[in-house]
Amino acid sequence: MEIIKFENVSYEYIRTDEQQRITQRFEAIKQLNLSIEKGEFVAVLGHNGSGKSTLAKLINALIQPKSGTVTVNGFDTSVEENIYKVRKSAGMVFQNPDNQIIASVVGEDVAFGPENLGIKSAEILRRVREALESVGMLKYFDYSPHNLSGGQKQRIAIAGVLAMEPDIIVLDEPTAMLDPLGRRDVLKTVMKLNAEKNITSVLITHFMDEAALAQRIIVMEGGKIAMDGKPAEVFSQVEKMRELRLDVPQITELNYMLKKSGVNMPLGILTVKEMTDELCRLKLRA
Amino acid sequence: MNERLIIGQYYPANSVLHRLDPRVKFIGSFAYITMIFFAESLLSWFFAAVYLFAMVIISKVPVRLMLKGLKSILFILIFTCILNIFFAPGETVVFEFYFIKITLEGLLLFAKMAARLVLLIISSSILTLTTTPLALTDALEFFLRPFAKIGLPAQEIAMMMTIALRFIPTLMEETEKIMKAQKARGADFETGGLVRRAKALVPILVPLFISSFKRAEDLAMAMEARCYRTDIKRSKMKELKFQRADYSALVCVTGFIAGLIIFRYF
Repeated sequence: MEIIKFENVSYEYIRTDEQQRITQRFEAIKQLNLSIEKGEFVAVLGHNGSGKSTLAKLINALIQPKSGTVTVNGFDTSVEENIYKVRKSAGMVFQNPDNQIIASVVGEDVAFGPENLGIKSAEILRRVREALESVGMLKYFDYSPHNLSGGQKQRIAIAGVLAMEPDIIVLDEPTAMLDPLGRRDVLKTVMKLNAEKNITSVLITHFMDEAALAQRIIVMEGGKIAMDGKPAEVFSQVEKMRELRLDVPQITELNYMLKKSGVNMPLGILTVKEMTDELCRLKLRA
Repeated sequence: MNERLIIGQYYPANSVLHRLDPRVKFIGSFAYITMIFFAESLLSWFFAAVYLFAMVIISKVPVRLMLKGLKSILFILIFTCILNIFFAPGETVVFEFYFIKITLEGLLLFAKMAARLVLLIISSSILTLTTTPLALTDALEFFLRPFAKIGLPAQEIAMMMTIALRFIPTLMEETEKIMKAQKARGADFETGGLVRRAKALVPILVPLFISSFKRAEDLAMAMEARCYRTDIKRSKMKELKFQRADYSALVCVTGFIAGLIIFRYF
């Protein structure tokens, strides 16, 4: 069942001067078609200005398409009455952990979403505890977010979304401002939620090794989808990725260079383990 | 650094006063502050002081912290002292030296004024030392709620306070970062006169303002993404609820008001 559907979607940013005259138009999304199945874990890649953040905001109904329709969980996002239903079912985590935490106590912050939905006190408390539990932050319930690390803050932001019991989580470069340890924790959490709760996850990132963990990769370029497929399929096209000004994971690049210099091995290797297995097989054959 | 990060003056301890509903504490301090303006006789002053002293003991907050608040009014205290002692009209002269004339009435007036100020500061300190800023915000929202009918956005005011409290440490950290960055490029914040130092602050404020606007924009979007809206009533995870102790405390406050009124005429 497709949970997110883009049909011929376009969106443009318009800059106006003081007299409301248009000075600049920038088409961030052009005639985009996309569908994401329930329970999928999709990574979105693309260099700056390729339209990936705009894509995220369209899913959460923070912006509405200029033309075409975005359907989330069966709701058309451009219909006024649907906006809060869409936002409830598609939670969003942003890049800067400091700018998305609202309250000065962790528990209160996680409760912010359910409070907005008008849920009863006892139920909110249950949801907050459960959400903090599943991101591994329950013991910080009474802490001030200010004293936590970036990775911990980002997990709190994820818990804040979880407490609204969404079907989809959209993460807009959640690890861009984190240290390697924090990045690992956040990613682990996202993968766990996707696997255990079957929450559809859309991860926007510019880290290739993160994208390699997804089930599907979408590469954006100039407001359009340039590539779409399994990580192994996408990363094996090293030349095309370079054209789009993107890297591939180190191990995939090594794989590509070996293949190019005549080593007999398949393309699309993503992990060190796969690479060692393949090299061992070559050695046995020789 | 950490010393400054403590928002408000909340002193964490496990006392009856700490556990009381913030609304009761609000009412209690308000009643106290109002009532000390009614104190007249020596007995009523004594009663008010003993009552407050009992509260300080119950609160388990070190007396040292209570007295800290008094430091800030020391200047006002000395100033009124001088004014009252020298210039208050009175008949009974205690001491006279050329144009300086100290009268008994002046001394009494000063004593009353000083006592009032000291009690006022201590009583409000008890409130802020035993209540977290968040609980204070909740209480304030409750008291503002009746005014929502005449168009006062009580819920939004409380939300603004919550966000302000949340961002105080963040912005303080940011200020420090900017200052360090500018010091590294040779800015001087420590020397020079008042005007020079004030001028040195401008290059800090400008980037601070710009980044605050950026933060505000991000935060607004994050709040919207989490379904924040102002057209409906939000629910609360922790509803304020009166416990038995809160009712007892209200009885206690009423007792104080009655006591002071009675003692006033003795």
